[in-house]
Amino acid sequence: MKVAKTIYQQGARRWIAIVRDPERPNYLIDTNEYVVVDGGHALLCDPGGLEVFPAVFGAISSEVDPSRIEAIFSSHQDPDVISSLALWLEFNPRMKCYVSWLWGGFIPHFGGTASTFVTMPDGGMEVPVGGSRLIAVPAHYLHSSGNFHLYDANAKILFSGDVGAALLPPGTDGLFVENFDQHIKFAEAFHRRWMGSEKAKRDWCERVSKLEIDMLCPQHGAIYRGEDVARFINWFDELEIGCLKID
Amino acid sequence: MARSGITQDEAAGQLRRLVQINEQIKAVVSTAFKINLMALNAIFLSKRAGQAALGFGVLSNELRQFAVELTEKMAELRSLVAGSLRGVTDLLKHARNRAIMERVDSEAAAARASIQALLVRQRVTLDRQESEMDVLHRRLGLLLDEIGQLVELGGVLARSAKIEAAYGGSFAAALMQVSTDFDQIIGVIRSSLDALEKSESQEVYA
Repeated sequence: MKVAKTIYQQGARRWIAIVRDPERPNYLIDTNEYVVVDGGHALLCDPGGLEVFPAVFGAISSEVDPSRIEAIFSSHQDPDVISSLALWLEFNPRMKCYVSWLWGGFIPHFGGTASTFVTMPDGGMEVPVGGSRLIAVPAHYLHSSGNFHLYDANAKILFSGDVGAALLPPGTDGLFVENFDQHIKFAEAFHRRWMGSEKAKRDWCERVSKLEIDMLCPQHGAIYRGEDVARFINWFDELEIGCLKID
Repeated sequence: MARSGITQDEAAGQLRRLVQINEQIKAVVSTAFKINLMALNAIFLSKRAGQAALGFGVLSNELRQFAVELTEKMAELRSLVAGSLRGVTDLLKHARNRAIMERVDSEAAAARASIQALLVRQRVTLDRQESEMDVLHRRLGLLLDEIGQLVELGGVLARSAKIEAAYGGSFAAALMQVSTDFDQIIGVIRSSLDALEKSESQEVYA
């Protein structure tokens, strides 16, 4: 089963990372899920694929009553991000799913009805969790053409979807980045291949560098915190992306 | 036939069986279309034969009516099978979701009460879907019985046409050829139908 780790807690606000499943078959990419709790309300970021649903659900329920989850934030449309949607809706048919308007007609193929989806405009929007508001930050073309990240100004946490992702080998899979230079080697190939637009990357780096971020939480790999956040943004800004070199 | 707790494998088996039935229906429909054209030709031939082929003409009209009715019944059967395909696909999806939820039940001790409630709700939905499938299955069986009786009638008509052909004077040989073709093609329909009934009567969740 996956592990649920609280990465932020202040008053009624909590961020819980659902990470690392030792029983996960090797053919499935490892994913991180994040639960944002505000009092009796919760939102789940990128709930993951169908196959990992039992592990994710089990880990969440060890920390939070899953029936508190009122909404899902889907950064984009990939199966490792949102193919478990039908199962979450089976658990709570009233659950909302925030997703880019671009994927509003595609993601329902995983499940849901017209009342399930809250489609987000390209410029982003506020996403409520209990009494507070998070911000959906545009991250289009990084890598999906309709892509959002989620920013919590109180916790100073940015859920960054595939940006910041690293494919970590066994033994180097800690929750946080401990050695940036070592870690970033495992992120480089991923970003070069998956991130398709230099211009979109520059826009994103400029946009997020204006935000106060203590933790940058990707969907794969370890969490960047403290000075590693700015280090990552600078590294990404300078990285050549969107090119595939075939020998 | 209603049975509690269909598994994913059973639902998948049922889906494969329905696909097989659908293919067999397609074969019968295509043969029925052929017999319709043959009956039209036989009507023209008997008109040309005139007085000598009056009985054959009557039978040709009956055979054409038979082909039309068979086509209609097969269309009805096809629509029933399409409904069954939708139903079993839904059943397959719910059976898969249930299998995953059963895994959740063993891994999420803290949420056991809510998962148990969900499993009960899923059970109710699956039972309802299985009952609906049973109704469709029974309708399918009844319709195949009706079609079987219709094909028997077609066989009688074809054999009678053969007898009438002998009285066709100078057209006797041509009429005999047409009525033999009828008889053979109804034989083909009958064996296709036998295969169809065999597929249909397999254990629903086998």
